[in-house]
Amino acid sequence: MTTVISTNSTARRRRSFRPSPLLLTFVLVPFAIESIWVFWPAIQGVFFSFTRWDGLSAPVPVGFDNYVELAGDPVFRGALGNSVLWLVLFGGLSILGGFGMALALQRERRGVGIYRAALFLPVVFSMVVTALVWRVFYQPDGLVDQVLTAVGLEHLIRPWLADPETALYAVIIPALWRQIGYIMVLYLAGLKAVDPAVHEAAKVDGANNWQRLWHVTIPQLKGVNAVILSVIVIDSLRSFDIVWALTRGGPYHSSELLSTYMYSAAFQSLRLGYGSAIAVVIFLLALAVIIGYLVRAFREES
Amino acid sequence: MSDFDPSRRRLLGLGLAGVGALSAGPLLSACASSAGTGGTPTTGGAITLQSNLTGAAKSGVEKLIADFNKLGKGTASLNTVATEIFRTQLPTYLSSANPPDLYTWYAGSVANAYSEKNLLLDVSEVWQGMGDYPQSLRTLATDATGKQVFVPMNNYWWGFFYRKSNFAKWGVQPPTNWAEFMTLCQTLKAKGIPPIGIGLGDTPWVASAWFDYLNIRINGAPFHRELLAGKQRFDDPKVKAVFTKWREALPYFDPKGKAYPFQEATTALLAGKTGMFLIGTFLADATAKDVVEDLDFFQFPIIDPAVPVAEEAPTDGFFASAKSANPAATKALLAYAASVEAQETYVANSSGIILPAHPKAKAADMPLVAKGKAMLAGAAELTQFFNRDSSDALQPTADTALTRFIDKPDQIDAILAEWQKNAEKVFKG
Repeated sequence: MTTVISTNSTARRRRSFRPSPLLLTFVLVPFAIESIWVFWPAIQGVFFSFTRWDGLSAPVPVGFDNYVELAGDPVFRGALGNSVLWLVLFGGLSILGGFGMALALQRERRGVGIYRAALFLPVVFSMVVTALVWRVFYQPDGLVDQVLTAVGLEHLIRPWLADPETALYAVIIPALWRQIGYIMVLYLAGLKAVDPAVHEAAKVDGANNWQRLWHVTIPQLKGVNAVILSVIVIDSLRSFDIVWALTRGGPYHSSELLSTYMYSAAFQSLRLGYGSAIAVVIFLLALAVIIGYLVRAFREES
Repeated sequence: MSDFDPSRRRLLGLGLAGVGALSAGPLLSACASSAGTGGTPTTGGAITLQSNLTGAAKSGVEKLIADFNKLGKGTASLNTVATEIFRTQLPTYLSSANPPDLYTWYAGSVANAYSEKNLLLDVSEVWQGMGDYPQSLRTLATDATGKQVFVPMNNYWWGFFYRKSNFAKWGVQPPTNWAEFMTLCQTLKAKGIPPIGIGLGDTPWVASAWFDYLNIRINGAPFHRELLAGKQRFDDPKVKAVFTKWREALPYFDPKGKAYPFQEATTALLAGKTGMFLIGTFLADATAKDVVEDLDFFQFPIIDPAVPVAEEAPTDGFFASAKSANPAATKALLAYAASVEAQETYVANSSGIILPAHPKAKAADMPLVAKGKAMLAGAAELTQFFNRDSSDALQPTADTALTRFIDKPDQIDAILAEWQKNAEKVFKG
């Protein structure tokens, strides 16, 4: 008897350690695909960042030269600064705007669906289409100029996308126009999860609207906030299409982000080694943010 | 064939941004190192022509291929790729194991750079049958080792385009030298018309035409070529002289030109909102026939009569991959493309104002074309365009320097120092 039991239990134990073929497939196939399309090129990218390469001849190893050059490159510093400015303005304003819109539109009223749909609509358009539409707004004698003339502010008119003072801000606005709708939807979902009973209780206790927002609603949005924060940071770092479609980082690098500078260094100047070095910097920045977020998330869970 | 220009990007905005989006993000090398072969693999006899031509020029090359296939010397197919993708992928096509056979692209330093890396097919054999071609084109098609690597199809010219009816209305005459040009600018400005149109938004490379022309008028074509090859410095006082001259004309530039691309600058010129526009003949591509008849141009004014006159004449044509699986058919197609018959068919089917490369082939029967042809024939030297005489990699350094100069002309010294620094990085690789 005892022997039978023991063999049985070993067999069971062994079986429980062997994953099902289906599970193995689900893990290994994506891993293999990722290895070919993501991990391997990423490792190669790091390798290329230590070389000088025009895409034609064999890469020439140059050690840390590309990184040393990055440290002294004013265009790179400008792009880094612009990327930080982009993160702060694009991120901050889309959170404020999205949250404000969600608060204004959370109560079910007649026609509220139309407003929500209208705000969400820009998200449906591709960024490039958005850029083409805004380019028409910004063009000389375009909508923006006409509106300014109509309200008597024609002295403010300038070539919005061609003036280094305004180019970056002129690109942030269309990006925001799209992002606010997206953030609004996330907050609307978050607000739906806020327990109405707590609100009732607070109301009974005599809390005013502002106090209820600050002490009841916002603390309950913690989970959504974490999601939105990571979405914003990742969206900011990968912003490329709208800038490229509107200004290509110009005029003379004034609206350059790290992503656009990487593209132009690699594919326009054909300095693929230098472009890879910029890509590695972007990767490290993204990694730092994501790891920071994951560490916090795990700590809170445990 | 003006669609050859790498920088005519606006129409391709969508495709371009698509590529951009794919390559954005930290995995840059995914694009650069694993792009694989770009075109249709060649097997057996069929050869592939990888083309960036669109619109009317595309129908011209389609007709060319169809006529070649009827000859029975081989079969060819056309593979059209958007210009911006073509430009960024060309190195990958050429260095892949199984590349397309033929490519539409540029003569001169661009072709030579690929030839230096042994990527281009030696087409000296084809040139043996091209005895009618002038020496200038033969030189342009010859690489550093003395073999021919390029077969020219056509060229076109740059000049100050204007509408005859508008000049008549304003009572002005085309100028012949710089002083007359300045007077013309003053006259037009006094009439409330921005005299000089330009389109730098999205197409900043248009400014390079000004730099090229001022440099070849003031310092001459040999200095210009050396400068673009990295043998002279951008912070040289001779280059500064170019900008000092340019500054005289800057107050007459259309201030809106910074914000819109050259296509809209063309529309502004045709609508009489600007007086004249330094541009290539491709401005006529999207212009109505009756308006083209009203178009005329004048040569970039002479500044120093002692400098031999040079003109910009970008040459378009074909080169072939050294790894072509069927070099015999590839050369047969090139030989056919170089014939009078093929070039006349091509010119007739592509509506743009272009000049066939074969001296005996007839161009379109228009006074404008005859005038352009005469201007090029009378030039002591021909240059092509900034990126074609240097490289596509050097073009962005010019775009940055020139748009900044137009915005802040008092910073010439700082701009030129920076330009030199950026150019050195490109030459270094």
